Amino acid sequence: MATTLAVQDLEKTYGSGEDAVRAVRHVSFETAPGEFVALVGPSGSGKTTLLAMIGGLLAPTGGRIVVNGSEVGGAAKRDLAKYRREMVGFVFQANNLLPFLTARENLLVPAALGSLDKRDANARAGRLLEELGLEKRRNALATQLSGGERQRVAIARALMNDPRLVLVDEPTASLDSARGRQVVESLIREVRARDVLGIMVTHDMAMAELADRVLEMHDGEIREHRAGKLAT
Amino acid sequence: MIGLLEIRRRKMQFALIALIVTLISYLVLMINGLGVGLNVLAGSALQNFDADAIAYSDGASVSVIRSELSQATVDAIGKTPGVTDSAPIGYVSANYRRADGKVNSAAFLGYDPGTIGEPKVTEGRALTAEDAGGLLADKSFLKATGLDVGDEVEITFRLERRAFTIVGEIDEGAFFFQPAVYVLRSTWDTLRYGARGDETPAASIVLLKGKGLPGKTGAGFEVVNKRTAFANIEGVSGQQSTVTSLRVFGYIIGALVIGVFFYVLTLQKIPQIGVLKAIGASNFFVFRQILLQVVGISAVGLAISVPLAMVSDAALRRLPDAVPIAFTTGTFVTTSALLLLMAIVGTAFSGRQVVKVDPIIALGQQQ
Repeated sequence: MATTLAVQDLEKTYGSGEDAVRAVRHVSFETAPGEFVALVGPSGSGKTTLLAMIGGLLAPTGGRIVVNGSEVGGAAKRDLAKYRREMVGFVFQANNLLPFLTARENLLVPAALGSLDKRDANARAGRLLEELGLEKRRNALATQLSGGERQRVAIARALMNDPRLVLVDEPTASLDSARGRQVVESLIREVRARDVLGIMVTHDMAMAELADRVLEMHDGEIREHRAGKLAT
Repeated sequence: MIGLLEIRRRKMQFALIALIVTLISYLVLMINGLGVGLNVLAGSALQNFDADAIAYSDGASVSVIRSELSQATVDAIGKTPGVTDSAPIGYVSANYRRADGKVNSAAFLGYDPGTIGEPKVTEGRALTAEDAGGLLADKSFLKATGLDVGDEVEITFRLERRAFTIVGEIDEGAFFFQPAVYVLRSTWDTLRYGARGDETPAASIVLLKGKGLPGKTGAGFEVVNKRTAFANIEGVSGQQSTVTSLRVFGYIIGALVIGVFFYVLTLQKIPQIGVLKAIGASNFFVFRQILLQVVGISAVGLAISVPLAMVSDAALRRLPDAVPIAFTTGTFVTTSALLLLMAIVGTAFSGRQVVKVDPIIALGQQQ
């Protein structure tokens, strides 16, 4: 089933009174099934906060997030952990692999959190590593991998539990432009191959243009919707 | 899984923690062994008495040294309702010369052959009514004197010297931190009181068999159970409270050290914990990994410290002036279980920290 996301009048305010900071203001948008969306904007524009709310890491102070017909925002912590475990795959800016685990073992972590049995998890991890060109590096520790390899392992980890939503935060921040492009292309290819929804936060317009759609944020608001290169 | 893999991959870091756990558990084991050993020295002979209760003269404050019972009182004690068997025992401390020339004291216990006060002979033979110059010596006495069954030993009490023949070996332990030596009650009487005729006390205490006896009193006597009798041995309560304090401090220090080590490790891993929680790990899942590490490391520490304590025990026993350390299976099991429990308690700080980690830090945002 293709994933649908509807963000309706979403608000996030930090603090209160005179010190209140409105990080996200009245943001609304919907995604098409299987769409890959890039969120761009300058630092402090609210794009990572928006991503965190969609990923169930941060509670909104107003509005709604509806994924496949179920509201995410108001869920209890335990339900949010389940939502992140079963519905969301994260790729973080600093890849955030567990340094003492090998590439393959890092992939098995989400499986250990979920309900995937050991044999299926091993097979799935093997397939993902192969798809991302990492089969020869499967037993290398995370600390022994290059930046690009680490980011590709992080993508594989995000796809491990067969998520419906892949959320990506600045995946190319620590990579040169050539490697960054390779990583984003791999990411988009894998996401589209699975017909899941992808949302990528980036400040790099060249990378953003690879997406189906680009949402540009300023001061907590979405100012511009436009099609990316993939959509044209 | 993750917790144990981390131990495998960070061997040096965890080996150092295991070393600290080993040293602490070894220390606590030795303190516990010392506690048991001191108890054995203090009154294993009393613990080994074949009795359900012990009668003391009233006003003696349950002290074998102060307790003196006349023959009439001994008879009255034997007729107390509920008493099914009884045996008067006399106690006196006398000196002997050890093999190394030093003078030590032994606990001379006077008993009547054929009564419940008679010790079990492990080598040689039991005393008969004709063995006024014979004694049964505990193996610790024989070790100290370097003598064997059949040898003569000179005993001094006050200014009197007297030679005894060791007719049998027993394994009754010690009394008042002295090796136990059994003689006939008539011999004890002459040792303790000299030639003072029938006016002398007939015994120090009376061993009793029967149910519901502790707490009973009568004319000139009171009855207590063996536990109370042991606790009232001079110096035992002070010794026990000292050892207990050391033991408790050992457990607390163990819990704190292990707790602090794992707390620091947890603090170092906050970003990783944030990522785990961001990808859907529950607090319980993360804490379980820490718990696995604590149990694993503590088990390694105990697996080293227990045999180390056994080796130390064996080595200390070979010394001429043996340190009073004794281990039982119970000591090892209880100490290991308590140390493990305290290690787990010590990780409570880490558990609290795990709960506090906000998964939002995985996105580089402040908690």
